[in-house]
Amino acid sequence: MTRESGETEQAGVQPPSTARVLAQLTRPVLRALPVRGLAATAAVALLIAALPRLLSDEPDQWSALIALRAAALTFALGLAFVLDDPARDLTSSVPTRRILRTTLRVALVAPFAAAWWTAAVLLIPSKIRPPVGDMTLEAAAAAVLSLAAAAAALRFTAEPEPGQRVAAGFLVIALVSPLALPNDWGMYVSPTEKQWGVGHDHWAMVLVGAVAVWAACGPEPVRRRRLIPT
Amino acid sequence: MSTVLTEAPAETSTAPAREPWSAIFALARFESRKLLLRIPVLFMLAAYVAWIVWRTKSGWYGYPALQDVDRATQTGPLLVGFAVLLCVNQAVLRSQRHDTERLFGVLVLEPWRRTAAHALSILPVTGLVVLGVAAQFGWQAVKSTAVGHGSVGELLVGPLCVLLCGAIGLLMARLVPKPFAIPVAAVLLLVFSVLAPASIGGGSATAWLTPIVGEGSTKTIPSELIGRPAVSHSLYLTGLALTLALLAVLISKGRTKTSTAVLAGSLAGAIALGVVGGVGQAAGVSSETVAARTVATLNPQKVQSCVRHGRSTYCAFPEWVPRTATWAEVTDHVQSLAGGTAQTRKLLVQQRVEARYGMEGDGAIEPSTTPNQVTVRTMWGGPRTPEFSAAVASVLVLGNEKAGGDVCDGRMVTIMWLALGWTSDPVTELRAVRLSDTVTGSSIVLSPTNGMTMTAGQTSVVRELLAAGPSTVTPKVKAHWAELTAPKVTTAKVAQLLGVKAPGGADKCE
Repeated sequence: MTRESGETEQAGVQPPSTARVLAQLTRPVLRALPVRGLAATAAVALLIAALPRLLSDEPDQWSALIALRAAALTFALGLAFVLDDPARDLTSSVPTRRILRTTLRVALVAPFAAAWWTAAVLLIPSKIRPPVGDMTLEAAAAAVLSLAAAAAALRFTAEPEPGQRVAAGFLVIALVSPLALPNDWGMYVSPTEKQWGVGHDHWAMVLVGAVAVWAACGPEPVRRRRLIPT
Repeated sequence: MSTVLTEAPAETSTAPAREPWSAIFALARFESRKLLLRIPVLFMLAAYVAWIVWRTKSGWYGYPALQDVDRATQTGPLLVGFAVLLCVNQAVLRSQRHDTERLFGVLVLEPWRRTAAHALSILPVTGLVVLGVAAQFGWQAVKSTAVGHGSVGELLVGPLCVLLCGAIGLLMARLVPKPFAIPVAAVLLLVFSVLAPASIGGGSATAWLTPIVGEGSTKTIPSELIGRPAVSHSLYLTGLALTLALLAVLISKGRTKTSTAVLAGSLAGAIALGVVGGVGQAAGVSSETVAARTVATLNPQKVQSCVRHGRSTYCAFPEWVPRTATWAEVTDHVQSLAGGTAQTRKLLVQQRVEARYGMEGDGAIEPSTTPNQVTVRTMWGGPRTPEFSAAVASVLVLGNEKAGGDVCDGRMVTIMWLALGWTSDPVTELRAVRLSDTVTGSSIVLSPTNGMTMTAGQTSVVRELLAAGPSTVTPKVKAHWAELTAPKVTTAKVAQLLGVKAPGGADKCE
């Protein structure tokens, strides 16, 4: 008891600055990240990106595009688990806001994600590689969309680990959307088709929309409510 | 007091003998209800229904051949299969996620029995897919225009894929009990199954190891010539799904010696089933089928039956005989527009198909040189109808089919008028029958055998004739029939005879 009150006096009445909180949080958050899951996902995603090389001596552009898109989707599925927090019932009541903690999680994953994407792109032979900038936009949109879905699941349900449900839903949507979306939107076309440019405008919109959803779903809900009864 | 004591032990002693099995079924019922109500499964079932409606509305122009319809039911169930793959896996891992594994440890069901119940829970959703496949196939089969025969083996592939997906989800949950494993594994499986056949190549024994085997050709051939090992393949898929599911049960804990022995025996049976199917499907096309394909391609009259409708005779593969009446309607319409002896000429309409490569490749059919013989192919409806009427018209005007490839003069106008003048929407048909899908400029006119060439001038004359309508044009065609069908007649002359504006320039084919 006495030691705690002593610490409070040292820190003063002012709450610690955000930067300091982040610095102090870095190590525990890093420890709480689903590192093994992310690493396994990234490894499988790299395997998918390598499939054109592995399956054929002379892979074509079509298989490269499919492999790179599937790799991006796989990594995005792994990202759906990043916000899982088994101790959510305890951490929801701490004074540090949730948006700070989740942003820190994502910031810690981001360099890893960037390195992974570079490796995935390099695994595709340069001769058949689709335009890297546009593909990066697609991958970023998928990744942020997955994170935004996870944030939304945290915002609207009381589940501590919604990653599994989010990943399932995300995968289902990802499978159906190429069939359901009109071809004119050009989101799943190949680089040789004329809708490629329009499609990447749409991907940019998805990215912006996902960032907005992510930001909007940042705060911890004040009241618990259940959308999906379990 | 004494009555209670004597009755109570009697109940407890009889109950345990059959309780585990009824408990498995009770759990399977609960899990299947839970599975059917999961959002991904419901969503994918809705998507599957939408896919069926879309496929059925857009397919085969209203004239389905059932040996093609059965294969077209295979890919849709994969949508449901993927949701089942994810949700079965998550259902098995639910007790781990909610940390109720320890509570279940004291209950009557051991882990292997719970796995078995999860395996059984896949069956109701598979039943729904069976209904979907039956609806999709039945929708086409009840049409009076349908021909051919479906194969049960091909129809079973869709539902078996759902079972297989569920079994994979089950096995994955027992092998890698981590929540992130299954979505990732699902994408890996999907990409592998998309990319692998492309690099392996279709038709080989390795290609048949994948659940759904596509074909390189979209043409229709008689069902007995298809030569796909559909029944063996469905046996193989059944064996594979059972093997995976039994393996999942077998690696779950809590088995007694007897149950292990029974499960191992069933697993051996399932593997045997899969191997039998796998060997059967790897055998390739039988020599009888190859011989039958050659006969059907080169000497179709040996296997065809001929029917008379009106003046003309129609020879078709047995499965297509009901459709000869539809062909006869078109022939009669075309002949009714013609003049001279052509109106009453007896034609022989013969169905021909290149079946020697099975479903793996296409081949052109050489036009017939026999006078008054017209070729009709196996597909019908949409652009196939004006293509056939163009062939009939060319035979009426030129005498035989072979001459259609060389015609470059004004007779082309007469041919196209006969082919399209009787239809209700001739301009749309003109667009459909031309390779370029246009109604201006020069283009190739498709026909069941070799195409014909239409110049820009002929196109404009034909368009004007179609706009004028049969009531004005038909009397003129009948009156000038001999001049219209004379060799070397110019397009300008034909236009003048039929009373429409003549195009500038001479006939010149590219």
